Amino acid sequence: MELTRAHELPVIQYEGLTPEENAELRRGGVLLNTLEQVKAWARSNSLWPLQFGLACCAIEMMAAGASHYDLDRFGILFRSSPRQSDLMIVAGTVTKKMAPLLQRLYDQMAEPKWVVAMGVCATAGGPYVNSYSVVKGVDQVVPVDVYIPGCPPSPPALIYGLNLLQEKIRRGGVRVRR
Amino acid sequence: MLGFLKGLSVTLSQLPKKKVTIQYPDVQPEWPERFRGVHRFIPEDCTVCNQCARICPTNCISLSGTRDENKKLRIDTYDINFDICILCGLCTEVCPTECILMSDTFELANESRDKLYLDMHWLYENQLRYTQRHPERVAQEAAKDHEEAPAT
Repeated sequence: MELTRAHELPVIQYEGLTPEENAELRRGGVLLNTLEQVKAWARSNSLWPLQFGLACCAIEMMAAGASHYDLDRFGILFRSSPRQSDLMIVAGTVTKKMAPLLQRLYDQMAEPKWVVAMGVCATAGGPYVNSYSVVKGVDQVVPVDVYIPGCPPSPPALIYGLNLLQEKIRRGGVRVRR
Repeated sequence: MLGFLKGLSVTLSQLPKKKVTIQYPDVQPEWPERFRGVHRFIPEDCTVCNQCARICPTNCISLSGTRDENKKLRIDTYDINFDICILCGLCTEVCPTECILMSDTFELANESRDKLYLDMHWLYENQLRYTQRHPERVAQEAAKDHEEAPAT
């Protein structure tokens, strides 16, 4: 199973070294790199999202979690506590009143953590883009990994976005707190 | 004990039923014909009337065009900002030449907001992909157009 996209990266040829020495340098980190790959694989296949439904997108999120689309196939189980979850699916309109609470819940989540902005409201404000009370995209509050457009996105679109996030985690997309 | 058996009988009666789960990444879902996914766009038909941009509730469409040698307006740029597009389909309803239409493409999730700003070329490629996926629907549309305006 291909876990990284290292083979897609451009190959660096170091100056003043023979091709054999270059190949040896590129092979570096044999043991630790494999461990990171195993960790990324385990994390990507046990994403536990925090229930964060704020509007109609939550209905589609529920539909994606129910038996018809069944998010459990990907190891995605909804948790009710930020302490137990490592993914936040922001599904719906984030008002300026809700934004500090969203940030607090994000801070309470354990590392490593990821955020998916589901729907155009969470991405950029959507139909409320001219409103006085709506945050124009949750990326102003928390760092977002995957944006899923749609109003609301259908369950397959959400699953596509979550698969994209799993791929990103397998590439080594761990966000470290600064 | 009786309640236990009662509960188990419910479970057992569900067992032989067909599974309802759609295996989405392996099997593509079948959307109905009027499903509102991402737009598709036919640049040859567009008359740059600007009605789609005017009716859009979020002002996510921006377009521009110039007159060619026959004084006919031709589309130059046609951008839809899928950051804020709510896929309501009002633009497809007002379009007099039906050059902006809805497709059943839904896989638009991305890691960057910049890639959600799609131009005319992407939308036309989406039209080509839609034609490949549903040739019978596109043929039906063309037949309807031909009935309505046979002379032109």
